[in-house]
Amino acid sequence: MNLVNQIAKSLLQPLLAILVGLAAGAVAIMIVGGSVVDTYAEMWKGAFGSFYFFTNTLARATPIILIGLGVALAFRAGFFNLGAEGQLILGGLSAALTALHVPGPGWLKLTLAIIAGIIAAGIWSAFAGWLDTRFRMNLLITTLLLNYIAVYFASYMVSHPFMDRTGSAAMAQTPMVENAAWLPKLFQGMSVHAGFLFAMIGTILLFLYIRYTVSGYEVRMLGGNPLFASYGGVRRGRLMLISMFVSGGLAGLAGAAEVLGTQYRFIDGSLSAPGYAWSGIMATLLASSHPIGTALAALLLAALQTGGMGVERNTDVPLEISSLIQAVLILFVSARISYSFIKNRKKARAAADGSST
Amino acid sequence: MDLLLDATLYSSTLRAVTPILLAALGGALCARVGLFNVGLEGLILIGAFSAIVGNHLTGNIWLALLFAMTCVMMFSLLFAYMTIHLKANVIVVGVALNFLALGLTTFSLRAIFDVKGSYVDRNMVGLPRWEIPLIHDIPWIGRVVSGHSPLVYFGLLMVVLLYVYMFRTVSGFRLRAAGENPIASRSLGIRVTQYQYGAMIACGALCGLAGAQLSLGQLTLFTEGMTNGRGFIALVATMLGQSNPLGVGASSLLFGFMGSLSTRLQGMALPTQFTSMLPFVVTLLAMFFFRNKSQLADARRSNESSR
Amino acid sequence: MLLQMKGITKAYGGVIANKHVDFSLKKGEVHALVGENGAGKTTLMRILYGMETPTDGSITLNGKPLQFSSPADAIANGIGMVHQHFMLYPSFTIAENIVIGREPRRFGFINQFRAISEVAELSRQYGMPVDPRRVIGDCSLGVQQRVEILKVLHQGAEIIILDEPTGVLTPLEVKELLESVRRLARSGKSFIIITHKLQEVMDVADRITVLRDGEVTGAVDASGTNVDELSRLMVGRDLVNLQRKEQTPGQPILELEGITLAGSGSKPVLDHINLSVHAGEIVGIAGISGNGQSELLQVISGLAKPDAGALRLQGKDIKDASVRQIREQGLAHIPEDRYQWGVAKEATVADNGLMGHTDRYTKYGLIKGGKVREMVRGWVERFSIKTGSLDTKAQHLSGGNLQKLIVARELEHRSPFLIAAEPTRGVDVGAMEVIHGELLKRRDDGGAVLLVSSELTEVLKLSDRILVMYEGRIVGETRAEEASEERISLWMAGGKRQ
Repeated sequence: MNLVNQIAKSLLQPLLAILVGLAAGAVAIMIVGGSVVDTYAEMWKGAFGSFYFFTNTLARATPIILIGLGVALAFRAGFFNLGAEGQLILGGLSAALTALHVPGPGWLKLTLAIIAGIIAAGIWSAFAGWLDTRFRMNLLITTLLLNYIAVYFASYMVSHPFMDRTGSAAMAQTPMVENAAWLPKLFQGMSVHAGFLFAMIGTILLFLYIRYTVSGYEVRMLGGNPLFASYGGVRRGRLMLISMFVSGGLAGLAGAAEVLGTQYRFIDGSLSAPGYAWSGIMATLLASSHPIGTALAALLLAALQTGGMGVERNTDVPLEISSLIQAVLILFVSARISYSFIKNRKKARAAADGSST
Repeated sequence: MDLLLDATLYSSTLRAVTPILLAALGGALCARVGLFNVGLEGLILIGAFSAIVGNHLTGNIWLALLFAMTCVMMFSLLFAYMTIHLKANVIVVGVALNFLALGLTTFSLRAIFDVKGSYVDRNMVGLPRWEIPLIHDIPWIGRVVSGHSPLVYFGLLMVVLLYVYMFRTVSGFRLRAAGENPIASRSLGIRVTQYQYGAMIACGALCGLAGAQLSLGQLTLFTEGMTNGRGFIALVATMLGQSNPLGVGASSLLFGFMGSLSTRLQGMALPTQFTSMLPFVVTLLAMFFFRNKSQLADARRSNESSR
Repeated sequence: MLLQMKGITKAYGGVIANKHVDFSLKKGEVHALVGENGAGKTTLMRILYGMETPTDGSITLNGKPLQFSSPADAIANGIGMVHQHFMLYPSFTIAENIVIGREPRRFGFINQFRAISEVAELSRQYGMPVDPRRVIGDCSLGVQQRVEILKVLHQGAEIIILDEPTGVLTPLEVKELLESVRRLARSGKSFIIITHKLQEVMDVADRITVLRDGEVTGAVDASGTNVDELSRLMVGRDLVNLQRKEQTPGQPILELEGITLAGSGSKPVLDHINLSVHAGEIVGIAGISGNGQSELLQVISGLAKPDAGALRLQGKDIKDASVRQIREQGLAHIPEDRYQWGVAKEATVADNGLMGHTDRYTKYGLIKGGKVREMVRGWVERFSIKTGSLDTKAQHLSGGNLQKLIVARELEHRSPFLIAAEPTRGVDVGAMEVIHGELLKRRDDGGAVLLVSSELTEVLKLSDRILVMYEGRIVGETRAEEASEERISLWMAGGKRQ
């Protein structure tokens, strides 16, 4: 009974948030003169209407889930890692270059490319962590700034030294990775690839890690009260670097999976344009950094986005309707977080006043 | 060397610095009342877009500015309500606001102008350029200082005005007090929330103007996400300047200068990516070198006290 | 009667903080309000100061009924309050801190010159010297206290409430403060002093009202009572006198030689500290807080690294060891500020209990959750910690229960060496007795305990040896049998070591 209640309670608020988001979307649809019912019907079809669209949604969710997990880990440890964008891009770039330039059989290239993506992004992220622990530079700001640096760096790499010069049109992109080093598709002719399995496994592992391992416990305590953690013997600097590395590494994995599973080359801007990184951060915020919740929220956001494309194809309502709904959703959720926070605080204050006066 | 003496470099610095400066001053006001405003980026973006819309609707540049300020103030009011009233985490709301701004502007761009990516209207009138009578005729200085949009001068004026407000007036004194120790201020009957709302709304007005300078200052154009990190640079300028208007002004000038220097360097052999990266690298370096300014100040203070 | 509070009742949900409390104040009187932690003293005064609304009861000032809805109302009616935690603006000057809320102004601009001259005049008038231009964050706590009182006077207060005014002051500063209070009372101001230090009460008060569990248990003239009677009224029973077993200390467990820690200023925070704690001994460190005790504990527990000196635990050099290594070498640590260091407020009771014990409850990197809960449940029973369940968040526990949880967690280590810093700060008498009993038991069982407390009575009650810290140095040492409160007070104020 208690458990049922708890589940119902934890589901109620996200559902409420979704409802509010959809309501705001409905207002916007009415303003541009569309039919709310038709638009939402198209949105549903675009996201889940057929097996093809459904796998499309899963494919889009893949990088969002992975990024969201990474951000969730960092948030749990108390670090506002907003650098997912740069980490994603460096991961994708490194994976592409590794797959292109390392000799060997396809499976080896694939494996090394994924590892390279994880490591490059992990180091980039841990660098921000290092600046914070070593020099007390605000992590939130440094990760944001490092995003821009990574984006321009990747853009330079694929438009100068590693540009694909084979095609007639000189596009800012690498040459194509050979077929043998591609991540396999899960279903013939569908866009969802093996990266989705990584995302699923990652979700479960992160959940178990945070909940049941000593190191996960230390991460939680570090996020809860860093002074308490260091008092209890948790090595803050080390744990911070590790969690930032893993956090960035997951974003890097997302980038590598996109490059090796969907695009088969690194194209300038192709990872930033769909807004994967920010969607991942949104998913984490929606789920208050709970790994399984993050995966579900990522799926929801992906569905909104693919659904938006369906809307664009079949109605006069622009696909940006989904970014509007997402934004309202997240705004509502940020108020919700604080709402429960106030309730807690009020209770605590009453208790404290009663005992300490 | 010629490059560094070129008057147009400094003149373009003044132009480039204005959006950052205005937003950073708004950020400083927020920081002074204890609200770390990560949403500057989004507020500027809304300002840029609504300035274009205002211009499109009214055809009058001044009404457009007013429209932009009003729109952004509405959003900063929302921000204030959520952080002050609902006690939402300032950073989370700031991030959410940035999403909202991006989503809303791209959506409205489609809904209002029916274009994707960017909107240009050649018939639209941008901000006027003010030639300053006497200064205009001074050889080098005239070319740097004269001939800018009114917002450029307004930004510089605001540095001084805000400084005087914060450190010389009773109201500014209480605003700083509200931020430094809200509990004590409340117990003295100072209306802390009122100051917080006031600061947020003023920040909204400033960000509205910052956005207007961006979209109506040079070209009359709006591009999706055209703020391109300026809000975050403004945030760093606020931090580096210790939320003191003079300091904020100085650090904004530094970033503005790096920005326009990087545009100039594009003409040379450097790839554009590196020149675009430059302001961000400099911001990062500035954070590194000025990071423990407050710690140094503390150390100096305790030295004085033990003497 | 200047002020009368009748039948004041205040309930927070189910908890009753004040029950039909009557309280009155005459003009020119110093009236002490005494009681244990949680007796409801502060609540009563917060009601008077307009920070809380009473559930029931009436307040009359000069015969007129009053109802304050905010402190601003109280200030406007001539009631001022100096809070236990000072309400100051560290980066502002003394003048700015005093005039705030009533700034001398011209056309909306602050008149700094007038502010400074007003403060200088005020300080001369009441004989409380301050330098109006100094930044308050740099001033000693004694000066800050003075500024708080001047601020209240500047607001035009006739009734001044002082909440635990002497907790952070040196004995000399306490003396000065009490003299100022008497002088101001003679000039017609009225004072209400909230405190639990009975000797000070006897020194300064005209009348005394005692609160216990939210009710008045006595209202007496100071001339007609004594400390013993007051403490009986406060506690409601005679306290058990703890018996200390005679025993000779054994091996040295903790040894510090010439430990020095440079601060940000020109003076070191710790200046050549030498000290040792032996098995079967409690060494108490007395001193006004802020004289290097916190830093000393941080150095011993590995949270800060000393710049010079030697540090040994059970004979092993731990100067460069990490917190974890030092804990493994045999340290347990009851931290001085439980919210800052001792718990993660958002985490559950069980999770907070696990900290420091992870090595014992791990298999293949996984936490043995069941065993952990068993251990924590044991503490909850043994120390009667009031908590909803083991999954209750720590922030929902009261201060006393949280402290018991921390004490239980650290005692569980059964480590040869235990740091107990302010082990009973802000806990009720019952919890205090339990904690004191446990510390003595640890000593009797051969443990070495380093006790740091700003409550001199606590140090005197528990310690075998007493050291006094002042400005980062140990300025005095004495065996407990030979200790006298006067001598220790002198050392605490910086008097020379003989």
